[in-house]
Amino acid sequence: MSAAGSVSAVTPVTDVGAEPVAEAARRRRARTRRRPGGTADWTEAHVRRLFWRAGFGATPVEARRWARRGRAATIDFVVDGPRGGARLRGPAPRVEGRPLDPVNEWGHDVLWWLDRMVRSTHPLREKLTLFWHDHFATADQDTPLMLSQNRLLRRHALGSFRALLGDVTRDPAMQLFLSLAGSTKDAPNENFARELMELFTLGGGYSERDVREASRALTGYVTDWSERDGVSIRYEADEHDDGVKRVLGRAGRFGVDDVLDLVCAHPRHAPFLVTKLWELFVATPPSRATVRSLAATYRGSGLQVEPVVREILDHPVLYRRLDAPDLVKSPVVYVAGALRTTGSYVSDGYPTWLLAQMGQELFRPPSVAGWDGGAAWMSSNTMRQRFTLANYVVGYGRPRVRKGAYPASLTPAEAFLRAYRAVGEPQISRRTQRALTRLAANWFDDIDRRWRDEADWRADALQMTLRHLLIAGPDSQLC
Amino acid sequence: MVARHRGIVLAGAALAAALPAAAHVASATARRAPETSVGISAREFRLAAYRDSAPRGFLRFNLANYGEDVHNLVVRDADGREISRSREVRSGQRTTLRVRLAAGRYRLVCDLADHELRGMRASIRVTRASRG
Repeated sequence: MSAAGSVSAVTPVTDVGAEPVAEAARRRRARTRRRPGGTADWTEAHVRRLFWRAGFGATPVEARRWARRGRAATIDFVVDGPRGGARLRGPAPRVEGRPLDPVNEWGHDVLWWLDRMVRSTHPLREKLTLFWHDHFATADQDTPLMLSQNRLLRRHALGSFRALLGDVTRDPAMQLFLSLAGSTKDAPNENFARELMELFTLGGGYSERDVREASRALTGYVTDWSERDGVSIRYEADEHDDGVKRVLGRAGRFGVDDVLDLVCAHPRHAPFLVTKLWELFVATPPSRATVRSLAATYRGSGLQVEPVVREILDHPVLYRRLDAPDLVKSPVVYVAGALRTTGSYVSDGYPTWLLAQMGQELFRPPSVAGWDGGAAWMSSNTMRQRFTLANYVVGYGRPRVRKGAYPASLTPAEAFLRAYRAVGEPQISRRTQRALTRLAANWFDDIDRRWRDEADWRADALQMTLRHLLIAGPDSQLC
Repeated sequence: MVARHRGIVLAGAALAAALPAAAHVASATARRAPETSVGISAREFRLAAYRDSAPRGFLRFNLANYGEDVHNLVVRDADGREISRSREVRSGQRTTLRVRLAAGRYRLVCDLADHELRGMRASIRVTRASRG
């Protein structure tokens, strides 16, 4: 029988803490096997693939550095983060001359998290926080509660799933969103119990009766509200149904933690969760053998997320066809990646508006099932907004074109190279490179040859166009 | 030859046309006096202010309606006199109420139907310290 302590819903918002150093050290010690770490089969293309899948892209410096260090060292760095713990690198955002106010100012919550994705030295933690935000999708709750939940997801991002599930179950934003708060023995609400099984842990293999009985076991949380302290949620034993329940083939006087233990111990849970994690990183569905292996790793580690992620990031399938990316970047990954890899930062509110137009507003998933993802990101309208993002980065980010800095006398190859370097040397196909070089070669064709050398103004426009196409072209939509 | 490049020229034009929008965002309120933002949420039947105090001067109340009914925000002084009111906001919508307040205590309510009576009220203390 479990009890649940009182949880305060409104907590002061401070910066989200980085992973404790001790935790990182523990995970380093916990590593049980080393992969071949040679550099011969580990190239910048491998690093770029890994950094995009596990984060928000690699800068040219990162690609070169980690290609030299080899596969094992790179994967360890990506998973563990830097020694000494994660930090934010680069200038903190200021909008209209002021620091962000994520609690009180609309859209600043989005900018605040986006900034972490752009500047964090441990992007995998942000990527997994985003994954859990989609997995435990919550919306329409007070901003302080959503930011508090975000801290919770980040804290557990690579840790124990059972601990994460326990804290999410008690999280005020989630409790209010799925009506667990206020679910009492006299009026049990089935919303949370249903999603616990369908979306959070099993994906199937349960009955309506399991949902009903589990909802009885999850009763007891009540909401308090006062003008002074806002909303708070506490566990009230008198409101809990302490009768015998039958859940997933087991019977007992189950409480909250008993139900969470039951779903986590169910045979469908491990395959369900490792498959979802796989789909975060790899577009190709996992083979049965892969699912079995990942599920064994997951169970063997006591439901730890980190060993599963490490195994996926080390899997050969992730590095297949480096010349033909096949994973669609979500809008958030696309925007954060475009800023990060071009050396740009969050400097105004525009990305909030763009993300909403692209179909992925942080803290506002469309339903409890999260975002659809995949090809659903690529409608004609949302793609248009991706082009607008490229305009924005070229106009206001680090790759912005300086007037008069690009002579018309540059060869097409030189013009291409300048643009390519300015946008962070993204992975592009030979076909794209040929097309862009051809564009540069033909750019001045409508100007009489006698005036070409004086057409530097047209060279600015060429640079702007090349950079835009490198950021927004087909190659950049996939990773 | 000109026809062949029309697409490129149009692309360049579209590129240039899109940029002023971002510039507008960057300088949207640069000319305004300093102000303090206060997040406010409304739902049945409570009103939450994300700050309990703010320095005197311009306050920008950012009201989000997370409820199902229509709500509004009314600012009253300690004597109950109405200082300002927002427009009515439908479910899922947002609005902003910008108001200049002197030091003192203020009541924030939704005065539609019996919403205030049912709990949609909060307060904020405006302090003498002015925003720099």
